[in-house]
Amino acid sequence: MDSIDIGLIVSGIMLTMVFLGMRVAFAAALAGLLGLVWIFWSKKGYDPDEFIWALGVATKTAGQVPHSKIANQALSLIPTFILIGYLAYYAGLTKALFEAAKRWLGWLPGGLAVSTVFATAGFAAVSGASVATSAVFARIAIPEMLAEGYDKRFAAGVVAAAGTLASLIPPSAILVIYAIIVEQDVGRLLLAGFIPGAFSAVIYGLLVVGLALTFKNFGPPVGGFSWKQRFQSLPGALPILFVVAIIIFFIYNPFGGDAWGTPTEGGALGAFVVFLMALYRGMRWKQLREALLETAKLTVMIFTIIWGVLIYVRFLGFADLPGVFSDWITTLDQSPMLTLIYILLAYAVLGMFMDAIGMLLLTLPVVYPAVIALNGGEFVSAADSAFGMSGTACAIWFGILVVKMAELCLITPPIGLNCFVVAGVRPDITVQDVFKGVAPFFIADALTIAGLIAFPAIVLYLPGLLLGIS
Amino acid sequence: MSEHSSILTDDTWLSRLDRALFKFESLLALIGGIAVFSLMILAVVSVAGRNMFNQPLPGYVDWIEQAMPLIAFVGISYTQRLGGHIRMDILVGRLRGRILWAAELLTTLIVLAVMLLLVWGAFAHFLRAFDLAAPNWSRDSSLDIGLPLWPAKLLVPVAFGVLCLRLILQVWGYGRALISGTPNPIAVPLIADAASAAAAEAATVSGLEKG
Repeated sequence: MDSIDIGLIVSGIMLTMVFLGMRVAFAAALAGLLGLVWIFWSKKGYDPDEFIWALGVATKTAGQVPHSKIANQALSLIPTFILIGYLAYYAGLTKALFEAAKRWLGWLPGGLAVSTVFATAGFAAVSGASVATSAVFARIAIPEMLAEGYDKRFAAGVVAAAGTLASLIPPSAILVIYAIIVEQDVGRLLLAGFIPGAFSAVIYGLLVVGLALTFKNFGPPVGGFSWKQRFQSLPGALPILFVVAIIIFFIYNPFGGDAWGTPTEGGALGAFVVFLMALYRGMRWKQLREALLETAKLTVMIFTIIWGVLIYVRFLGFADLPGVFSDWITTLDQSPMLTLIYILLAYAVLGMFMDAIGMLLLTLPVVYPAVIALNGGEFVSAADSAFGMSGTACAIWFGILVVKMAELCLITPPIGLNCFVVAGVRPDITVQDVFKGVAPFFIADALTIAGLIAFPAIVLYLPGLLLGIS
Repeated sequence: MSEHSSILTDDTWLSRLDRALFKFESLLALIGGIAVFSLMILAVVSVAGRNMFNQPLPGYVDWIEQAMPLIAFVGISYTQRLGGHIRMDILVGRLRGRILWAAELLTTLIVLAVMLLLVWGAFAHFLRAFDLAAPNWSRDSSLDIGLPLWPAKLLVPVAFGVLCLRLILQVWGYGRALISGTPNPIAVPLIADAASAAAAEAATVSGLEKG
């Protein structure tokens, strides 16, 4: 039995275990460990006397992965971003944002829904977590929309869908995870998420306006705000801009010269500003302790999957499964673009049953090298490539595409968590209502993804302009 | 995917051990959280020192790399107790009674075996860095200011060891449930359906919005 067969069997065992309910992180570690033992033992011709030796070498190979891969300063962005997210709820930013958005955008058809979309997008700039964002805005925005006579399902759908914007707009924990797994620069990916995130928000906004114009009494505008009231609403929302500016300045200095530091430092400074605001708004040790425990829990969850998957990746390196998969996918008799679209569709289906982070981490070690190979390899120039972009640009572009696909899984039935959260906050709205209300946003997301595929410049413009990637 | 589960308690030995271990795990998790917070403070000090006083913090990156294992590993058992490690429960969520407990017992036993091996592997990784005869007992040190690396490496098998204790308690809990066939076993995370998971998620951010 050659190493490819071992790779396939072990990956099959991993998927079976995931299906049986084993925690994803441990299923990946199990697969990695089992695969390493098998590979080492096969080299000794399955001699029973050598089994203990193989077990020892495999265990020691796997045992160094957690510490050596996690003690990495780039990874410290993940806990910092998670901490910002939890502190942001105590900093009173959500209401201020919604109020400002309402005064500036409320006059549009479906004005309150448009305001919800943009207030959520703004909040996403300090929070990387979609589900919690939906929970907060369900509490703030839905009552106001219902009071104005908005359709119940529409109001709930807007909140659930808008929550997904958090995963593209920096600081996005999921983009950092992608960058780590595919070994790309974290700053570039965070920067690249900016315009696609805003683009998604604009598409959502247009959809809302279109729906409000089409259906009578669906979402009436709210008017009557003076310019004075509009400007008065801005200071409360300013800290968001400040945090965004800090993070950007630490990746790229618009005034020329070096960036002010590393993205890690930028994230930490942003967190500190939000922390000071939360203190000012009355956060004390009890709330801080709660936020720290939640941060610790979510961080550990993410890191456990990361090292678990990296043990699996270590084994995959020996089994060369990614290489074989890449060879197979590049020799398919169809256009690379079609293959890419199939891959993205497969993610949409997988996302209906799996959590976004687990789905990406389990699949990327094999899928990512294949996509890069489709484009023509890691070091291909834009001119020679299949998708018209360099290897590095392709890594960034594909990252944004898969993260957008992963967002979708938060609002697709049967387990779209954002929809359950909105229904959980509002006892008068059933999950079925939310899933119905969110359905039009699938069209918006399909348009967004088509746009990102047809015009990669939406993703690559900012990294290209600022960091010179073609 | 369930990230939220509820854990039942009573006054059996298993439940007492469960709660005693949970106290210890909570302490470890809080240390992890405080480490994240310290990371933030450290960055603020480093940036302020470099830009305002032209005095960069020596060994800033070294300290981050020391803090990361604290952040990434010490809470692993706490997260396991609360059922916080993500999994796909679309199949097991449909199982009931003894079949469910048998599936949970099987996967938990396998995870226990994996983690015991990893305690060994991670301890071997620590031993390669540790030497009582060397300065700071350390064979390797960080690049910038020469911090010994063995304490951070030792954290990994220790945290994994605590997780093994937790897994043993869960094996015990699922085993008891399998034998008795009870629908409400103690000391193990129960699968929450999507609705109650969502309610718990919503509760973590409730009551925070003021003014």
